[in-house]
Amino acid sequence: MAGPGYKRSWKNLLLNKRYQLRFTLFMVGISAVLMACLGWWVMRVANEATNVAIARVRGEACKKIPELTETPSTDDTAAVPMKLDDGSGSEGSAQPEQPPTPPAPPPPRAPPTVDGATALKAVANLWCITPASCTPAATEPLVIRARGCDAYVKKKLGDPASVEALRKAMITVVRCEGGQTVSVADAPEAEHHVTVQIDESSMTLTPTVPNDYADTIVQHWECEMRQASDIDAKEHGRHIILWVLIATGVVLSLGLAVYGIKMTHRVAGPLFKVSLYLAKMRDGRFDKVYSLRKGDQLVAFYDHFRTAHAGVVTLERADIDQLKAVIAAAEAAGCGDHEAVAELRKTLARKEKSLE
Amino acid sequence: MSDVPAATVVQDGKLGGDVPKGDAGGGKPRTPYKRKLSNYLLDRSLQLRYVLLVTILSGVIAASLGFLIYQQSATGSDSIAGDLAELTKHDASLDDFRDQEVDKLHSDDRKLVYEMVGVGIGLVLILSAYLVLMTHKVAGPLYKVSMYFDRMADGRLGNITALRRGDMLQDFFGNFREMHEAVRTRLQTDVITMESAATALRAKASASGELADALDAIDKHVTQRKKQLL
Repeated sequence: MAGPGYKRSWKNLLLNKRYQLRFTLFMVGISAVLMACLGWWVMRVANEATNVAIARVRGEACKKIPELTETPSTDDTAAVPMKLDDGSGSEGSAQPEQPPTPPAPPPPRAPPTVDGATALKAVANLWCITPASCTPAATEPLVIRARGCDAYVKKKLGDPASVEALRKAMITVVRCEGGQTVSVADAPEAEHHVTVQIDESSMTLTPTVPNDYADTIVQHWECEMRQASDIDAKEHGRHIILWVLIATGVVLSLGLAVYGIKMTHRVAGPLFKVSLYLAKMRDGRFDKVYSLRKGDQLVAFYDHFRTAHAGVVTLERADIDQLKAVIAAAEAAGCGDHEAVAELRKTLARKEKSLE
Repeated sequence: MSDVPAATVVQDGKLGGDVPKGDAGGGKPRTPYKRKLSNYLLDRSLQLRYVLLVTILSGVIAASLGFLIYQQSATGSDSIAGDLAELTKHDASLDDFRDQEVDKLHSDDRKLVYEMVGVGIGLVLILSAYLVLMTHKVAGPLYKVSMYFDRMADGRLGNITALRRGDMLQDFFGNFREMHEAVRTRLQTDVITMESAATALRAKASASGELADALDAIDKHVTQRKKQLL
């Protein structure tokens, strides 16, 4: 018996809404909460890992483009003078173009021939708050012992003269005792100057262009592009994790909702079937009880119901036997028309009908 | 028929004394119900199926995401360790500092794993306990109805008591109770009819031995049925 009106349809999956939805929503809710909490944790750690990875990429310094500086050399192969404008305004005139007057070479700058002791002394003057607070040594980290050392070092690194002094003394690292370590390379670059030579009405820049200048520029920008690409890839990876988590959560919730309803349907189905039989029994109909479908749960419970049904049927049959016996005896005794016998016949008819 | 009690429902009653004794017409014999921890698993196949499904699912989600968390954390730690090694490779005086930091990072990663395992085990235990209680609210009513079914199989249709507060399947139990009361009332009416007929026909039974025997039999039957309806 599938019960009148019962059809195998997806609409019938929710037979007992309160029970089925409660269990299904609990399961889906637990999964959603877990996914949300742990997903948030995953993203937090992923963000940290991504930031560390990005910082690492940014920390790998690209080869710098060399600075163009003036040169005293007049050698054409070593320097490419750039004539911007001769200022004569005679373009297109018949007057033959005069070769530009070679610019007067600027006075050569003295090479940095600061000796080590002087450089260290300069560092001590500029960096050590007191003579005891630090002892500069060439090629060694400069260790500073002072209160608020980190802030002090940060401030000093903003001072080009202080940084230059360190560079001249070949000191590459400044370390606060008990504090952070800072690389001199991280100090802001000093402002670069291009010397402009003004020769009467003309202005000529005479930078020295190294032979590998173009290659260096290419390498620099290749490195910059690679870094940007790496950073993009890491950001993309972070977004991928986020979307995978969201998609997994949604799919899991939907899948669990469907599975939960199907699973609880295997319990609600037998209950629904028993309810139909209970309604029949309530109305006085005790017809045949059929088996459950394959895969249904509550098989033992259903067996109990079948025995109960059989028990009530047995009671009815026993009544029927007794009623038949009394009616037959009454008829044999000539009391078949008695009012009580008529009542017994009605009861018998009802009971027999209930078992059809 | 005043000696057949009407069907009564005890509100918020307990089931203690209602349990039928011995085998009940094909169903398994029931043991008396006591409030024990072990009684929370009344229908193991039904309850454990759901409990295991949810706990295993939660465990799998927690383990997968926990692994992701650990993996991300370990990746970050390795990256920092690599950077530290790069920064300190020219300065032997920083070796101790570097080793110390790397150890700390790895220690943090291990601590994270222990924390996650602890949280996972706690989650599974709490969830299992809660789910056993939750499924008990379904298994309990089914258990109770099964007992009444056993009694009906035995031909006994006595009083029934209501479900406890918080139990689920109240609608189903309502259907069952309606059926039980309807069948019981009908049988009580039949008993009254049979008893009245027997009384009315008894005067004429002196003329027929067969009728007298039939009336004696129906008297016994009515007496037995009254006991069954108590």
